[in-house]
Amino acid sequence: MAHALNQKGNGIFGGGVKVFEIILLLVKVLFALVIYLFIFGIVRLIYLDIKSMNISKVNINKGFPYLKLVNKREYLHFKVEETYILSKNITIGRYDKNDIVIKDSFISGIHAQITKGDSKIYLKDLGSKNGTFINGKKLEEGEQKLLKDGDKMKIGQLEFLFVEGSELV
Amino acid sequence: MDENKKIIRVLIIMCTMFFVIVGYLTYIQIFRSKKLMSNVYNRRNYEIEERTIRGEIFDRKGVLLAHSEKKGSLYERVYPYGALYSHVIGYNSRIYGKSLLESTYNNHLLRTDRYSQVFGMVDRWSDREKYGNSIYITLDHQLQNLGGDLLKDKKGAIVAIDPKTGEVLALVSKPDFDSNVSWLEDNWRSMIESQESPFLPRATQGLYVPGSVFKVVITAGAIENGLDEQTFEDNGIIVVDGKEIRNSGGKVYGHIDIKRALAVSSNVVYSTLGIQLGSERLKELAGRFGLGKDIPFDIPTNRSVFSYDIMDQNDMAAVAIGQGKIMVTPLQMGMIVAGIANGGNVMAPSLVKSIISPDDKNIETMKPQILYNIMEKDVAESIKDMMKEAVQNGTGRNAAIEGVSVAGKTGTAENELSVKQKNKEHAWFIGFAPVEDPKIAVAVVVEYGGFGGEIAAPIARRIMKEYLEKSKE
Amino acid sequence: MLGKITYHKPINMVVFVNIIAYAFLIFKDKPYQWHALLMYCVVVTMICTVYCVIIKKKLGEGYLFLIVSMLLSIGIMMIYRLNPDRGYKQVVWSLIGIFVFFTSYYLYQKSNKWHKYTYFYIAISVILYLITFVFGTTINGARNWIVIGSYSFQPSELNKIIFIFFLACYFKNPDKLFIQKFHYDENVKIIVNRVLLMFVTYINIGFLVFQREWGITALFLLIYLVVLYVYGKGKYFFVINLALILPVAIIGYKFFYHIRVRVETWIDPWSDILGKGYQITQSLFAIGSGGFFGTGLGMGKPYLIPEVSTDFIFSAICEEMGILTGAAIVLLYMLLFYRGIKIVLSIRSKFERIVALGITVMIGIQTFIIIGGVIKLIPLTGITLPFVSYGGSSLVTNFITLGILQAISNCDFSSEGEFNG
Repeated sequence: MAHALNQKGNGIFGGGVKVFEIILLLVKVLFALVIYLFIFGIVRLIYLDIKSMNISKVNINKGFPYLKLVNKREYLHFKVEETYILSKNITIGRYDKNDIVIKDSFISGIHAQITKGDSKIYLKDLGSKNGTFINGKKLEEGEQKLLKDGDKMKIGQLEFLFVEGSELV
Repeated sequence: MDENKKIIRVLIIMCTMFFVIVGYLTYIQIFRSKKLMSNVYNRRNYEIEERTIRGEIFDRKGVLLAHSEKKGSLYERVYPYGALYSHVIGYNSRIYGKSLLESTYNNHLLRTDRYSQVFGMVDRWSDREKYGNSIYITLDHQLQNLGGDLLKDKKGAIVAIDPKTGEVLALVSKPDFDSNVSWLEDNWRSMIESQESPFLPRATQGLYVPGSVFKVVITAGAIENGLDEQTFEDNGIIVVDGKEIRNSGGKVYGHIDIKRALAVSSNVVYSTLGIQLGSERLKELAGRFGLGKDIPFDIPTNRSVFSYDIMDQNDMAAVAIGQGKIMVTPLQMGMIVAGIANGGNVMAPSLVKSIISPDDKNIETMKPQILYNIMEKDVAESIKDMMKEAVQNGTGRNAAIEGVSVAGKTGTAENELSVKQKNKEHAWFIGFAPVEDPKIAVAVVVEYGGFGGEIAAPIARRIMKEYLEKSKE
Repeated sequence: MLGKITYHKPINMVVFVNIIAYAFLIFKDKPYQWHALLMYCVVVTMICTVYCVIIKKKLGEGYLFLIVSMLLSIGIMMIYRLNPDRGYKQVVWSLIGIFVFFTSYYLYQKSNKWHKYTYFYIAISVILYLITFVFGTTINGARNWIVIGSYSFQPSELNKIIFIFFLACYFKNPDKLFIQKFHYDENVKIIVNRVLLMFVTYINIGFLVFQREWGITALFLLIYLVVLYVYGKGKYFFVINLALILPVAIIGYKFFYHIRVRVETWIDPWSDILGKGYQITQSLFAIGSGGFFGTGLGMGKPYLIPEVSTDFIFSAICEEMGILTGAAIVLLYMLLFYRGIKIVLSIRSKFERIVALGITVMIGIQTFIIIGGVIKLIPLTGITLPFVSYGGSSLVTNFITLGILQAISNCDFSSEGEFNG
């Protein structure tokens, strides 16, 4: 057991190494952490960027009329944009082939159509089950109605505000 | 746009590929790093080792079995007893790597624990030398040494176990080799190519036909199924499906019971018992006694094999007398006999008693553990009684020790050589002593040695006697 | 508060990573290595200045350089740790690279005729190959280096960009690049065009095979396939090209000992650990011994791996900075790739789109090839890890591509396409 005795002297030194090792470990963890913070920071910036891009789109496309969502997006369990720009003829509905796809179960497959004709915008119900409303009034199937600035359009659970762009003025 | 969709698809594929890389890296780290770290060719190990004085290895009483000595600027492993522990401790070579205990307990011997490896806390900072942990193994050096002397130039193995704790007291395999690095590195190639396979740790990995020692297993089955009540008519020969099975030496025992049959090792009686038990019970017995099961041990072991799917009557008869397609390791037989001695409970075999840190703290101590149960206590008692008879008035007379009651069973296992030549059977003996309070259980096999009662029993006797005398002091 | 100095401003994190790393390097040994502090100052000043210029002068995308600066810092600190001299050189090369970055940025914006130089691109690349062939020096079994004085230069690096430009020229109007003046049947013209496209591609690949540049060969082939997949007209042409890979690979495997060796050592490097499998096994040992957080910069043994500062730098990073940092690097490349694709999607001009796609895919695939190679996920081929590996020509080339990408991101190339909401 002589070997054990002469090693006891190293005990204190051994303790010092332990403390050093723990500090070393902490610094290494910190190093990895900082790199991940960096990645997180970039992802966050990119996310903010994309988010602001959706809003700035409106600014860029000032000329075009658009639909603005009135509902709070947080309460909806399906994906919906804050704004939809109306630069051409579009259809709204649940199916993927529509220009504006909204997976609301109260919206029909192909629900409504928005057409642009000589600097005016018309809304047409394409035979939806739950109807399309403008300012609380239900559209008949196939009925086409002119949209005016500030009109409230209700479709499924969603309510949109129609905003006329400068293009139409 | 179609084009944009395709671009998104490219993005997704590429991201998946990146995630595969991350996943594979994690896989390497979690599942492969231990192996990579301990790879012989990973020079990092030796750089750690160069600054670590590898821990020492002692026997159960503190006899030094392995230590490191400075040779030039490097440390080299020294084994004072040369070849004696080559199949227990193994070797530690810069070129050929590590084996057995040196490999299993490498992290302890170098004192690098798992957690610090995961977190990279391996001490690479100081140039000062670090001490590894010491290991106390369960072997008794005197017993091991005696075992080595007894086998000497014979081929074979000795396993001695403390039946109550599962501690292995002696684990001798012959032939062996000098595990000191200088000798090892000079003779490696010739050793690898040698027909005697000196690198095979016979005690733990050698597979032998058990022969008559397997009759104790059959006896257990017979007792459990009430087949021990009957008496048999032994005419020295029995014909099973047109095939003759004879008693050893062509002896005729006449009207005998099972106790006498075990003592004289009657092949006729046991063949009958085997057929009476039937294939399902034989398979169940073999499985229960550990054939086909892995043995959890500190060094690598081989599984004993019982390779029957469908058994005809001949197979049943052959199995009952320990012949046929069954193979056991000496360690397995040692565990079985220790289990009988211990009233049916087989203790998990252990080779390491405790691990001591350089500042004399106890890091780990082995605790006895029941591995599995092979029989009821009353069955074990009956078998003990029969095995005692075998030593007193049967084939195992050569194992008898004056003043001590010994139980045992001999085996003379036929093999590929014994068919052509006389006295080339594997000689077996399993036994324990004292019967009332078993302190040591032994399994001995001598390859191509001849009769178990003549060759193996005396060896077992010396081992048991030595141990019992020592423990009296 | 903490957020403001940390993840709100990722550039701070780059500085912080450098502080920790150079602290390691300074205090690693006694006497303390104070010249590491100088390195730190140079690197951080360089990165911050460039970043400020990009932001202040509104040179488009800030993220590209931000991500690259992190990669560059990690590369420089690792190279410096492995070999201080190479570290200094790498810093010098980075400075040259940044100069080239701005130069290529302005050059690219100055001209809008890049899509008109098709034949020039072909000619230049052939000349570059011929120069290599005639004046080339063999380093590490690949005859692809031009040595001038004490500087060596790898023309095949430059050829990557030229090839991408050529592809962009071709796919700007798919299958209408060559022989438009002749009066052939349209179908004949298309076929001739396609054959010529494949001819140019395979000439490139042939030269590269001749130079034993397996990594770059694979890279060219994959860039070609991706661009073809996205912009090629007609499914069959793409399928034919894809199907052609198989015989090419088989022929390569049969006739080139090098390829065979690489595949064999990939499948089982352990059987010849001291010979052919040496590099990859050493690399795996390094990765395996790092743990999650690494041994700490300057405390591992990455120098045991051959070619550690070029091809195997990722293994060294894994050993000393841990698997977590390794994974972070892969994520950084993924972000870079994502930003590249984002740029591609945001611009309208087709030529620029293809150039941007080619560059992005090039960086992504190159990363995959080398990282996959050193961790034994795919056969190992020598290629540099963009922005991280040591090496002047690769670093400079990467900065050229980054400059072009930056220029494209900041240009108004939307005039050509139609707008749809």
